Amino acid sequence: MKVFPDDLLYSREHVWVRVEGDLATIGITDLAQEKLGEVHSVELPEIDTEVERDEPFGAIEAAKGMVELISPLTGNVINVNEDLIDDIGIVNSDPHDTGWMIVVEINDLDELDDLLDSRGYHDFILQEVEGE
Amino acid sequence: MAAWRLVPFHRYPPRENMAIDEAIFREVQRSGGPPTIRLYGWLSPAVSIGHFQHVDREIDLPACRKGGVTVVRRPTGGKAVYHDDDLTYAVIARENTSIFPPTILETYQVISQCLVQGLHKLGLEAILSAEGRMPGKDSLDASCFFVPSLHELLVKGRKICGSAQMRSRGAFLQQGSLLMSFNPEKTCDVTMPHGEPRARRVQALREKVTSLYEHLPRSVTGEDVCKSIIGAFQDGWGVSLAEGSLTPGEEALKDHLLETRYGDLAWES
Repeated sequence: MKVFPDDLLYSREHVWVRVEGDLATIGITDLAQEKLGEVHSVELPEIDTEVERDEPFGAIEAAKGMVELISPLTGNVINVNEDLIDDIGIVNSDPHDTGWMIVVEINDLDELDDLLDSRGYHDFILQEVEGE
Repeated sequence: MAAWRLVPFHRYPPRENMAIDEAIFREVQRSGGPPTIRLYGWLSPAVSIGHFQHVDREIDLPACRKGGVTVVRRPTGGKAVYHDDDLTYAVIARENTSIFPPTILETYQVISQCLVQGLHKLGLEAILSAEGRMPGKDSLDASCFFVPSLHELLVKGRKICGSAQMRSRGAFLQQGSLLMSFNPEKTCDVTMPHGEPRARRVQALREKVTSLYEHLPRSVTGEDVCKSIIGAFQDGWGVSLAEGSLTPGEEALKDHLLETRYGDLAWES
């Protein structure tokens, strides 16, 4: 059973959010990286671009496929994890921490209300598996 | 289980092919429509490049222009594929469709296994590659067929089909190209690198890639191959495939994507 840290929020698109004031650090969950397999590269927005909730903010290339990254929040990108350029493997090995992707200045803090806590995300995953 | 949709074989212009696949994918993603299998060909020669490929570094655009080869970016990942005499497939479904395991590679394997069965029915001893490079990582060559990767179809150790997947919002699209015949010279002309001697690269492709008509007589038609593959999907997955066309929503989205996305190689996701 995967462990999803309690200090993060989670989207239904398998993206986590760490909130500090009006800043949100964003990455993909351990489950997302497991479904992807070995990550080869990531395409992220540049600093000072806008990302929009429920719209793609980038993409990840993995073995035999790519996955769109869906933004959990609307806001301005103020930082991008440049460590991923040198070592993309941390998306697989440490997705909830050093494998973070972008930091966003949140436009509307109310959008956080639609995100799940770790328990809610866990339940969501179970529902998703049973969906068919 | 509800019937799946089969969009039967038809040839389309290159950009339209990509727009159709993405339109179906976006509609399945949005509305949870039926899992869909589409088989298609290309009305004119084309090179499709993967979502992450750099067209300037990996495709010889002047050679493509000179040879009348359209370059189109795929929504999926992977490397460049030269389309001329190939049968292309797309499988589109929700990720939680019970047949498909959760990971990209496992789903890839499940689809590949059906293709293996389809080729077996035609009398071809195809197997899945048990090892190989991961595209984009080890090989500098822009061509998809240059080195087989894990779970890809091989006949007598040579690659015959290349596939790649994309996922978003709980749905996936897998596209693949099954070679009816193979033209290593043309593949070399349109894909990079041109650094090493062309003859050596052509020879390497000849050794690594095969096609249906290297092993089967020309009396086996594209229609025969389609039937065999469709039968393998139905038998392998125990699903019923009902022939259908695009919905009005998919048609409208296809037209929109053709105008906004597939006329321009530079688009990003």
